[in-house]
Amino acid sequence: MQNNVPSPEPQTDFGFRMVPRSAKKTLVRRVFESVAPRYDIMNDLMSLGLHRIWKRILLSALDPRPGRRLLDLAAGTGDVGLGWAAMGGGPVWLTDINAAMLARAKTRAVDRALIGNAHFLVADAEKLPLPDQSFDRVSIAFGLRNCTDKQAVLAEAYRALRSGGRFFCLEFSELQVAAFAPLYEAWSFEVLPLLGKIVAKDAESYRYLAESIRRFPNQKRLAAMMQTAGFRHISVMNLSGGIVALHAGWRV
Amino acid sequence: MSESASSPERPKQPPIDPRLLEILVCPLTKGPLEYDREKNELISRQAGLAYPIRDGIPIMLVEEARKLD
Repeated sequence: MQNNVPSPEPQTDFGFRMVPRSAKKTLVRRVFESVAPRYDIMNDLMSLGLHRIWKRILLSALDPRPGRRLLDLAAGTGDVGLGWAAMGGGPVWLTDINAAMLARAKTRAVDRALIGNAHFLVADAEKLPLPDQSFDRVSIAFGLRNCTDKQAVLAEAYRALRSGGRFFCLEFSELQVAAFAPLYEAWSFEVLPLLGKIVAKDAESYRYLAESIRRFPNQKRLAAMMQTAGFRHISVMNLSGGIVALHAGWRV
Repeated sequence: MSESASSPERPKQPPIDPRLLEILVCPLTKGPLEYDREKNELISRQAGLAYPIRDGIPIMLVEEARKLD
């Protein structure tokens, strides 16, 4: 006998709240539409400038070369994708689900005379409008956390990569240094929402960001998810004591 | 009818990047897309959807696409 009661819609995490899977995309979009105008300055304040160092480490791992094509997912205001172009990398495709963020990336590309090599595309990382095996590098920096179906994003990244290509994920992770924990907790849940309130006039969005960091799969779990998606020779590099981790994997 | 559409020095929409157009596929079917210059949309016949292009940036989201009749 079939159960006639309609099953409730599957839930997913939105910070510490559970929301219907179909609602997360809209909620995340609202967060980023709200934070877009002050996003760059907030990143500096929230991470005390560390995000620039983390992204620089990612960029040097990406190893930009003129003949290589990069797909940068959740490209936001373009720190990684435009950094690649500035370092002499080949053609780069910057994609983000949020048109407001991407418009800022495009303006920055024009200002920095990097527009010739950079292409912009509003896309859902779970459903990429790009053909199989068309990139040498795929990157996602501080983006996977905000995706509803993270496994689908990893599968799409894998599909878009050529064999011999590499995928990199830079994301908040699990702190590995216990002594930092009280300070990190206070920073995340006291200081960040306060900064959000004062600078971006939006404490709620920044509370979401802090919560979503805690909900994100830790180093080991993300590596296992990458393995499931097909990646091989997966490596994990902890940065700043594991506040952030850089995961890398090959499509062989 | 908007005036700016017929004025060559002030196009209504910036031109789409041809290299981007070459590589794009439908996010749903991964099938080919046609560029409708008139409407400034990318058409996926297989999916029956038209993806808009705003400020020269293709919006490749199924939820933002127009359903074709």
